[in-house]
Amino acid sequence: MTAWWGVRCVWLRHFDVYRKSIVYGLVTTFIEPLLYLFSFGFGLGSMIGKVNLLGVELTYRQFILAGIVAQTLMFQGFFEAAYGSFIRMYYQRIFQAIAVTPITLSEVLWAEIIWDASKATFSASVVILIGSVMGDFSRWGALAALPLCFAGATLFAALGLLVAAKSKTIEEISYPQYLLVFPMFLFCGVFFPLATLPSYLQWLAWGLPLTSIVSLTRTLTLGTPLQPQVFIVIAAWLAALVPWSRQAMSRRLIK
Amino acid sequence: MDPENRPEQPPLIVRNLHKEYRIPGGSPLRAVDGISFEIQKGECFGLLGPNGAGKSTSMNCITGFYPATAGEIRLLGYDVFREPRKARQSLGVCAQEDTLDSDFTVLDQMIRYGTYFGRRVEVVRPHAESLLERFGLKEKSHDLVESLSGGMRRRLQVARALISDPQVLVLDEPTTGMDPEVRRVLWDIIVECRGRGLAILLSTHYMEEAQRLCDRVAILHRGKILDCAPPQELISRHIGEEMVEEEIRPGVKWRRPSNLEDVYLKLTGKHLESGGGE
Repeated sequence: MTAWWGVRCVWLRHFDVYRKSIVYGLVTTFIEPLLYLFSFGFGLGSMIGKVNLLGVELTYRQFILAGIVAQTLMFQGFFEAAYGSFIRMYYQRIFQAIAVTPITLSEVLWAEIIWDASKATFSASVVILIGSVMGDFSRWGALAALPLCFAGATLFAALGLLVAAKSKTIEEISYPQYLLVFPMFLFCGVFFPLATLPSYLQWLAWGLPLTSIVSLTRTLTLGTPLQPQVFIVIAAWLAALVPWSRQAMSRRLIK
Repeated sequence: MDPENRPEQPPLIVRNLHKEYRIPGGSPLRAVDGISFEIQKGECFGLLGPNGAGKSTSMNCITGFYPATAGEIRLLGYDVFREPRKARQSLGVCAQEDTLDSDFTVLDQMIRYGTYFGRRVEVVRPHAESLLERFGLKEKSHDLVESLSGGMRRRLQVARALISDPQVLVLDEPTTGMDPEVRRVLWDIIVECRGRGLAILLSTHYMEEAQRLCDRVAILHRGKILDCAPPQELISRHIGEEMVEEEIRPGVKWRRPSNLEDVYLKLTGKHLESGGGE
């Protein structure tokens, strides 16, 4: 048995729980991005003309669709990891129960991050599919965006796991939710081009991971110019959050 | 040498186990202070002590969940910290807290838990069904854990610990909070497991439980083993008399058989229920 076997076992446990309540799972996974899509893409999008992004003319629906892909990764990845893992760790004590079998805690935590990221990627891929079917996204670009989606979802899943590890109570998860996740949702270029913000806010936004993920998603799916710093920002956040979240959760559980 | 090829050795060996907790801004808290013992096949070994004596910390180190500050723990010859996967392949654990997976039904959770030991579903299913029957939970097989009473949940947790056919069974206060009838059912199961050759480590603060079930008992106080022997031998060694006189309320005395609590009181000056560990 390898470490991968242990990760797979726990991942399958989470998938099995998701599968058992598939209706609830599908509703929570897909309804939210679809609501944003209909509200902003079709509703607001019909009132707004073209958006010029780095010299590329886009319809607002195209512009917002790519933003919703990235926003879905963040919301689904973060919330599943923050609330889901807090419940599994604190209330259900599932991590503790599994970590005394041949599966180690390290494998349990990898499985947690990968599951949360898988679920978020699954959810975002539906928005990508809709964008492709409607002809808003380039089909090959949409396909190429899937690995980016998984990387982005992993980043936000790690952020969620870190928040769960650091929160004494489930209510405390609200602080980073309102102080970090919602500001990213509003100011990282999902709804409007960053160029419309004052320059200091643009700098701040570029330091946050969602901006780079939004930008790279638009590059891949809509052909907007690549901004090379996105790779550095995404890699830096991933390199920081994944080990930090795992270490924080291990420290929380192991005395 | 591969542990399987070594001459017969005790399934569980604990040598000079130390465990200190980091206290932010303070000196480390010593929870376990150099305990050593071995458990043979078919032996039930009890750790007896009040809350805070170091029982659960010792258990968590033995299962490999907490790293030891110093010392060695071997399960079936494998070092539990260096080779956790191999060591825990033959380990069954019933933690003090409820760790049942409330997302699954009773049967599904047994099967799922069996897969964590690398067992195939078709192999583990009949075993899970027979365990549920043995533990009186067959009727509840398709119910969610949430619908079970406290006693049933505890029985399920012990049943789940047996799903991998372990050779070492760790039971951390398995009967705490149970009513006397359910406690006796669980005692019978523990006796049966011992009869089948399992090495059982049982922590408890119930002296009657320790006296009935354990072949040997270690009296644990502030992380140290004060003495370790068969219950009757401990009583003879430290109390000597068969009957002791006790004042049950001011002016009312009665004579009763001496027990392990008297031993604990003699060794530590404190009662088991008084939190003598701190």
